[in-house]
Amino acid sequence: MEELRNDILDFLKKQGFFNEKTRLQDNDSLSETGVIDSITLLQLIDFLEAKYNIRIPVEMITPENFDTLAGISQSVIKLKNG
Amino acid sequence: MLDSATPGISIDADTGLCQFCEHFTPLTPEKKEEYGSRMDSLLKSPPDKGKFDVIFALSGGVDSSYMLHRIKREYPHLNILAVQFDNGFISDTALENAQKFCALTKSTYMRLSLDQEALQVTFSKAANSFNAYPGAAKYRASDICNTCISIIKQKIIELALTTKAPFIIFAFSPGQTDAPFVTLSKPVLVWMRKLFDRNLKTMGVTDREPYLIDAHLLQPGSYNHEVMMIHPFLIWDYDKIKFKKECIQQGWIDPNLKDQNSSNCLLNAFAIKNHLDKYHIHSYAYDLASLVRQGYMKREDALKKLTLQIPDITDEEIKRKLKL
Repeated sequence: MEELRNDILDFLKKQGFFNEKTRLQDNDSLSETGVIDSITLLQLIDFLEAKYNIRIPVEMITPENFDTLAGISQSVIKLKNG
Repeated sequence: MLDSATPGISIDADTGLCQFCEHFTPLTPEKKEEYGSRMDSLLKSPPDKGKFDVIFALSGGVDSSYMLHRIKREYPHLNILAVQFDNGFISDTALENAQKFCALTKSTYMRLSLDQEALQVTFSKAANSFNAYPGAAKYRASDICNTCISIIKQKIIELALTTKAPFIIFAFSPGQTDAPFVTLSKPVLVWMRKLFDRNLKTMGVTDREPYLIDAHLLQPGSYNHEVMMIHPFLIWDYDKIKFKKECIQQGWIDPNLKDQNSSNCLLNAFAIKNHLDKYHIHSYAYDLASLVRQGYMKREDALKKLTLQIPDITDEEIKRKLKL
């Protein structure tokens, strides 16, 4: 879980111009805090699918599942475990 | 292209590369072919659901004019509704070019207009805003252009939903997006709407509904067809010089806007300057850097595009129009 979380943070830092000084809590909203917009979100989905060899169904792409570090991590784990 | 003076850019001391070049993986020919086959299978036999197969975002500039012409050449059976958004700053030549290319390709032309006075106030609020868009968005476009493009996206998606068109095509360059296909499910659309609504609210825009997808269309059970956004420039080679040459051969007229980065919008150069003043970020640097990285443009040509020229008269006229 920690490794997954760090992968997501690394991606956001590299692709989303995530400020190194910003400290995100697991349940902070990525869109509310200005870390992602709709395009970064789609890039993040691509990254997760390639990195973890999963297919994320479009119905799953909701703020509940993909707007927080905790939500994204849980969604990826759920998909990886089938 | 992106140097250490640009906020958010870090250059590796050993390689001399920025974080984007460091992590750049070019699209393999196999992947490109796979995307091409996918686009072929989608556009060769679109689901027969409504009057139009495609809602096409047409600015009247080089990229979208070329793309409309090529799409119809490769997929002549497609019924296309080409939508030109009138943001109040479209050059007369761009209006003429758009209509000319619609006639040429037998596409239906639509000029999408909103309340011009309200739109000017909105652009003015975007110009005066600070951090209304997240970090990443600030590198992709200026605050004014992000606002304009987001309105276009929202209204074009709305048109696709109401006309039951299965596809939306945008002529985004390979530097502006890296997803060739985007499936717009209802949850994604609800989220996109909410995000843009919040951007507008942060800017102080009070009457936001006219700029957003009609909320009724996103209610549960309101529609059940799937809309997909396609970006063909991520599949075809992107060669702006060739595009311009071919467009001119087809009757496209160069508006000579004295703006290195736009052949349709009079507001663009002002928007770049406004963004540079606020954030020290040239809103085309990221796009151009990406084109250089992918081998679509020479670095020196891209650097030339970063020089900004706005005639004083244009600057003053825009400030007056936006009441700045």
